[in-house]
Amino acid sequence: MKRLLLLVLFLVGLGWALMNYQGLAAQGTYDSLILDFREDIGAAQIENQVEAIAKSFNASLRYNSEFSFDDHIFVVQGDSKLLNNLKRSGIGKYVEYIEPNYIYHAYATPNDPEYSKQWNLRGINIEPAWDESHGKDVTVAVIDTGISAVPDLENTKFAAGYDFVNDRADASDDNGHGTHVAGTIAQSTNNKFGVAGIAYEAQLMPLKVLSAGGGGQVADIAEAIRFAADNGAQIINMSLGGGGESQLMQEAIAYAHSKGVTIIAAAGNANRNAAEYPARYPHVIGVAALDPAGSKAPYSNFGAGIDIAAPGGLINGEDKLGGILQNTVNPQTGESVFEAYQGTSMAAPHVAGVAALVRAMGVEQPDDIEDVLKHSAIAVGDDELNHFGAGKLNAAEAVKLAGKGKFSFRDFFRWLRDNGYLNPKFWIDGGVIALWPKVLMMLGSYLLAWLLKHYFPFAWTVSLGTGLVMGSSGVFFLRGTYLFDAPQWPFRLAGSAIPEMGSAVQANGLLNPLTASILIPLGLTLLFLGHTSLKWFAVGTTIGMTVFLAASAYLNPALMWIGSGAIAQVFLIANALLCLALVRLVLKPGASTP
Amino acid sequence: MSIQVTGTVERKGFGSGTWALVSEAGETYELHEAPSELQQAGVKVKVRGQVREDIMTLAMIGPVLQVEHYERLS
Repeated sequence: MKRLLLLVLFLVGLGWALMNYQGLAAQGTYDSLILDFREDIGAAQIENQVEAIAKSFNASLRYNSEFSFDDHIFVVQGDSKLLNNLKRSGIGKYVEYIEPNYIYHAYATPNDPEYSKQWNLRGINIEPAWDESHGKDVTVAVIDTGISAVPDLENTKFAAGYDFVNDRADASDDNGHGTHVAGTIAQSTNNKFGVAGIAYEAQLMPLKVLSAGGGGQVADIAEAIRFAADNGAQIINMSLGGGGESQLMQEAIAYAHSKGVTIIAAAGNANRNAAEYPARYPHVIGVAALDPAGSKAPYSNFGAGIDIAAPGGLINGEDKLGGILQNTVNPQTGESVFEAYQGTSMAAPHVAGVAALVRAMGVEQPDDIEDVLKHSAIAVGDDELNHFGAGKLNAAEAVKLAGKGKFSFRDFFRWLRDNGYLNPKFWIDGGVIALWPKVLMMLGSYLLAWLLKHYFPFAWTVSLGTGLVMGSSGVFFLRGTYLFDAPQWPFRLAGSAIPEMGSAVQANGLLNPLTASILIPLGLTLLFLGHTSLKWFAVGTTIGMTVFLAASAYLNPALMWIGSGAIAQVFLIANALLCLALVRLVLKPGASTP
Repeated sequence: MSIQVTGTVERKGFGSGTWALVSEAGETYELHEAPSELQQAGVKVKVRGQVREDIMTLAMIGPVLQVEHYERLS
């Protein structure tokens, strides 16, 4: 029963997902429509129609280009309203198709005006990653000098943080470092202002542990780690380091890790062999820095404790183009500035941001996130001193890898998109199949089976369930599947319920009275009555068909040869009753039971 | 741990900037809350101070040195 409940829930979920899936079409934007007139209707008729459209919709059609003359392809300014009006207007018989003229773009480039200076974001291949994830609803704790609400964090969400230096709830930044680090992780993006951040739909938790001078106590940092773990942070970024080994801090890190927090720390800027604490503790992803050319930044620590490398930038005197540019505060005045910084401090938040993107894709365990980050990194050969760890951070691959390994609706539709054509809206509006009747028929058949079970006790089996599905609805979503260069009828057939099969191959919307009747249930029952398990397939099919036929009589009584209307209705209801009687006969006490 | 270091003060460009003491042997120390007289690049100085093992910083350029006593050499 539990399994059945799960199946029903799955099907309801599937139906819900399909209803809510916007489809490829809904993702595009358009402000004009394409009309392709049939070749065979002649130039004069086309001209007439063009004029008629111009008149009735107050819209002027023009040829798309000089090359579209022969194909009679016209373009007209308009939105979805005009599209629907045109489709309803009867012009359909003169055109091959009317469709939105989608505006295509490669990958979404953010509209932040200074984005062009962020070589570091392109360096981690961020744009394809943004197609999949923005780090939505992931909380990233920034353990640093605090975060000030600078203008380019205006759309960024904040979680409640704490100032461990001054022991107060307000954790604003009096140094500029923490705000800069936070900007790399989640600067407001696509807000037509300033620069971009990596996981800009993530939530920042400001935890101030470093004073205005840039130093802080290990005890405060350890407390901040526990605070983050206890208050819902999923990622921790620590662009800080130094000092000696601390039992207190190591325990805090182990605690946060055990609570599912991914912890990232900068390797240090002393160009020495081995990362600083805390990057070198177990469960901490230590990040080395790359310069704009992708080489090890001259200051970056290397060797033991380096797990991965990310852009940290390199500033040459007054030339700051090689630095990492974010919005922060001027420590002297407290005013908002766009400043380029360098350091492993800047490299770590790149990794924290991508970790948030991966987390938002549904990879939850810190060790799994670390695996994804490392396996997707661009490995560097001949790295004998371990300058790069697993390699250079690659956001696009990380997000792609995070999307594998789990079957999501997103993957399923991506597969359909990559292999063919799918427009679920068409299923619902256009009538290839009507989705809700399918779901209702399937649920109805389970309900009927459940009722029958009440009177004639029997066990739920896989064969019974299969029968119920095949009798009532089939694996119906296959019907909306189209593959390039493949005939569609096998999908139609596989996606049909048994009563529909008589007309599935020829894509006929009408039911075949031979298959949509008592004949198949009767045949199955006679064949399998003596078989312990297949008998239940027959029972399930009969129950499913009872519901299918009854529902069809009500929703869409249309039969091949017989036609639609009262006669079809009587035929369907009579056969539904016969099916019910057959089930009752088989289930009646005294009939053989397994 | 009290140590004595002779070296030159430098400004290191991490974050909004950090004061460092680079010893004659080439070891870099981060000056923790540097006295204002030492906040000047190029100053040669002899410093006695504590290496703070309990402090972490955003600059991460080397051991954190808290100055207890200093003597300007230039």
